[in-house]
Amino acid sequence: MMDDNRAIMLEMDSVYLSYHSGKKTFDDGTHHVLHDVSLRLYEGESLGVIGRNGVGKTTMLRLMAGILAPTGGAVDLTPGKSASLLTLGLGFKQDLSGRDNALLSAMLQGSTRKQAEAFLDEIHEFSDLGDSFFLPVKTYSSGMRARLAFTTALMTHVDILLIDEILSVGDAHFRGKALSAMKNRITGDQTVVFVSHILEQVKQLCDRVLWLDRGRIVALGGAQEVIESYTTAVNKEREVAQ
Amino acid sequence: MPLSQYLRLMNVMARMALRADAARLFLGYIWWVLEPLLWVAVFYVVFVVILGTRQEDFLPFLMVGKLAFVWFSKSVTQASNAIVTGRGLVGKIAVPKTLFPMAAVQESIYRQAAVFALMFSYVLFEGFALTANWFYLVPLMVVNYIMVISCALVGACLVCIARDFAPLIGLFMMFLMFTSGIFWDVRSLDDPEKIHMILTANPLAFVLDGYRQILLHATPPDMVHLISIGAGFGALFCLMVLIMRKGDKYLALKALTA
Repeated sequence: MMDDNRAIMLEMDSVYLSYHSGKKTFDDGTHHVLHDVSLRLYEGESLGVIGRNGVGKTTMLRLMAGILAPTGGAVDLTPGKSASLLTLGLGFKQDLSGRDNALLSAMLQGSTRKQAEAFLDEIHEFSDLGDSFFLPVKTYSSGMRARLAFTTALMTHVDILLIDEILSVGDAHFRGKALSAMKNRITGDQTVVFVSHILEQVKQLCDRVLWLDRGRIVALGGAQEVIESYTTAVNKEREVAQ
Repeated sequence: MPLSQYLRLMNVMARMALRADAARLFLGYIWWVLEPLLWVAVFYVVFVVILGTRQEDFLPFLMVGKLAFVWFSKSVTQASNAIVTGRGLVGKIAVPKTLFPMAAVQESIYRQAAVFALMFSYVLFEGFALTANWFYLVPLMVVNYIMVISCALVGACLVCIARDFAPLIGLFMMFLMFTSGIFWDVRSLDDPEKIHMILTANPLAFVLDGYRQILLHATPPDMVHLISIGAGFGALFCLMVLIMRKGDKYLALKALTA
């Protein structure tokens, strides 16, 4: 599993992230989101990230995508490699059609207008949106939004794909289609970091899994064993609560 | 990001925003012309019908000042909120944060094109002559644009760092509206020293006066003064671009968490 001969795509070295919210809540209003997180991401691997809500999973992806900078430590993306974050929901302009949103998304990810327009047919087809593709996004159901977001993300080509909860929505039919499309990408040489609450998906898609709790790494290792110990811990907590 | 890609994105974002806006409103793009026309109507009612202003050519005087001022105030106000409103995208993609206010300014250029077209037609309709001096509008508008983008970046940074700046910027625009000689003529003040002081201390007053001098009095603006304003704001713009490039991720964190 831990093949150190593979090229490193991205390295996080003792990363801390905290910010001042301005409102005096606790610790003088400072929120500590990540605490001493170190990891290496290798070329072609798929790393799953699990943990409860609000433990810093999305923040970790944002650091990897170069959207945020760590307050301590370093995030090093291998020069020449690109990383892109795929999330649901936010980012869509509600009054624009799915088509326009997809075009804008693709261009923001670095495509030229021509390239972006070339993606549009593929996106239209794969997303199963039919004529809705040309209607404003505000008329979409949450499942339709998810389909558009996932498809737009899938069509753009980056070295490291950072996926935040994007496979957990949509109907069963689309979820199956999305999962197999994702598997195809992953079995190729796509490097993926995958955040999900659906442990079954993580088990299917990922070689390694990182368990995050309150901003710290609890475990990092083979998918099977980390997920098992996570499930055990969650069950134990539930028993205690009862 | 290469400059060509940046400019393309800026333009696409602006056009998409315009399209979204038009789609939301029943009258759509008609508002581009309707809004400035309504301005004229409001001013006519207030200053001509109610107050019975006797000043010669008061309405054209007012229109030129107000409609040119609207470009500055609307662009800067909208651009100031641009990073914060765009935080959905800020949290998704690492793009230069200047892109958001610059796209907002670009959006208002499209709108202002319609406003200026209306303004020029109105001036001609009122019987003012189209002279060679109108060519001076080109450098004047360029300097006006440089003022808009540099103030837009300052505003966007401030609002991103603390939301409290948003209402302050609104108030500041109001202050500028009253001090830049929109409802009154700077040149009609008794004290020539005061006239000189206002036109020097307030670059916006100088630029608005420039539009009136060209359109209503067929007089070119003081080019040395104009160029020095352009250079000053140009330097401010470069400085802001550098600051925002350096503090890019700090601004992202602020937009996402504050």
